[in-house]
Amino acid sequence: MYEIWLTLNILYELGLQYLPLIIATTVLWAVLMLLAVRRPQRRWGQALRPAVLVALLVTVITFFITPGLTQSSFANMGYWVDWGNLFLYAAAFGAVGGALAWPLLAMRGR
Amino acid sequence: MKARNTRQEMPAERDRLQAGADSPDQGRRRLLMGAAAAPVLLGGAVAVPHQAQAALRTQARIVIAGSGLAGVATANRLARELDGAKITIIDRKEEHNYQPGYTLVASGVWPVGKVSDRNRDLIPAQVEWVREMVAEFDPDANAVITDSGRRIQYDYLVVATGLQLDYAQIEGMDVSAIGQNGLASVYPGPQAAQATWQAMDAFRQRGGRALMTLPATPLKCAGAPLKMTFMLADRLRQAGTRGQSTVDFHSALTNIFSVPVINAEILRRWQELDIPVHFQSRLVAVDIAARRATFADVAGERSTLDYDFIHVVPPMRAPDAVKNSALAWQEGPFAGGGWLEVDRETLRHRRYPNVFGLGDINGTGKGKTAATVKKSTPLVVQNLLDVIAGREPSQRFDGYTSCPMLLREGSALLIEFDYEDRLVPSLPAIQPLQDSYFAWVMKTRLLKPAYMAVAKGRV
Repeated sequence: MYEIWLTLNILYELGLQYLPLIIATTVLWAVLMLLAVRRPQRRWGQALRPAVLVALLVTVITFFITPGLTQSSFANMGYWVDWGNLFLYAAAFGAVGGALAWPLLAMRGR
Repeated sequence: MKARNTRQEMPAERDRLQAGADSPDQGRRRLLMGAAAAPVLLGGAVAVPHQAQAALRTQARIVIAGSGLAGVATANRLARELDGAKITIIDRKEEHNYQPGYTLVASGVWPVGKVSDRNRDLIPAQVEWVREMVAEFDPDANAVITDSGRRIQYDYLVVATGLQLDYAQIEGMDVSAIGQNGLASVYPGPQAAQATWQAMDAFRQRGGRALMTLPATPLKCAGAPLKMTFMLADRLRQAGTRGQSTVDFHSALTNIFSVPVINAEILRRWQELDIPVHFQSRLVAVDIAARRATFADVAGERSTLDYDFIHVVPPMRAPDAVKNSALAWQEGPFAGGGWLEVDRETLRHRRYPNVFGLGDINGTGKGKTAATVKKSTPLVVQNLLDVIAGREPSQRFDGYTSCPMLLREGSALLIEFDYEDRLVPSLPAIQPLQDSYFAWVMKTRLLKPAYMAVAKGRV
């Protein structure tokens, strides 16, 4: 329980560090969603599959570039905890990528 | 020093305690409330840092000596937990330094700006901040005297002064010369850490003879001398000058780390990295201009070594205000350094029951780290609340501390242990002796946010 609370607080403090970026991303996503909702020919269902593919692509890219961006490398992956955390980190970015792509893809013409 | 009777000599604060006090188990309730908030927070909302709860009503005068992590974390917690108390924090320092980041600055991982914050952003508004230093403790009169001569009375005292770096014990040492002539020392502050990196960076270009040192006294962040050694070896390897360099570690003790399993692990790794260790070899003098260091063995026999790079770790002791007061240990292994005489489990003073100790100043077997402060501050605050409410302290500290041991750029060990030298990983999945990218990310990316949450009294 304590570790969960600690993790949440770490995320909160990290959020404070990157607040402008978080706000900008959230506003961008909200604007895209609004634009998509107002489009008469929106295709949410059809857009879901390619949005997931975008999320996967972002996850894979983030997975491969993150060790270098954090002054480390794949050679320093010691055990499954390292791989698991790297994957979760990459997946979080993938989710953001997918969330941004979804309204864009929903607005696409036929 | 005559032992004081806890019950009879407690300040009359219990009498001032007013109706409406909360139940004793506030810490547990907070934790549960925090856990209950988790789904909301995970759902994307920014964390709400404070949990609503009834505060304990009291008119107690509480003085906190020191505004390091322990001091500000205590101030934030007490400000939230108490209603009507007069809380005073005494420290002149305006800058709040993230000391666990010094080794990152000193090894070229972090820019120096990442370790400095402002105390005014961390000390709560309802706490009186006296921008002076405690010059004297007078626990028999429940008072502290500041360096301006001001006398401040208290009902309860939290001693969180930190410790004193005793460079004066090393003949010829000049802190202002750190960064020049291959002289390095990570401990004094951000500028010294940055200067240490300048010295290391210059040294690694050419290589040569490096001397790493460890004194015999208790240390804050006892892993720092070891981290600096690992990182120096790695920086030399990266620069391609390791082959033409020697790195020797001189320990004034018979070991390099107090936890036997960690000690053995580090020594094994250093053997592989060709870092010889010289035990019972104490740095006693340094000739900065000539780049010569003098070491003494247990018999007092001196030997002088030339160097191109030296990392000086100063002996450490309690600040004079504590060391020269009745609060210091009067006998035993902690008396020499003048460390605060606290019970190692409750962290309450053994003779002055209205006094608690937190952080580096405590004369306990382990734990001069931010991790210890993280674990022990909530405990001390709860014990203080218990005492204010007329109860005995309910919380017991197990000596938890942690040392993210930098092994090289990109990898670290995440070591956690307690008073009994047991390895106590926070999560069962963590393997303390395993080289780990995750431990590196923890050290370089996640521990400062955790530190800030501790300072604000949330975790």
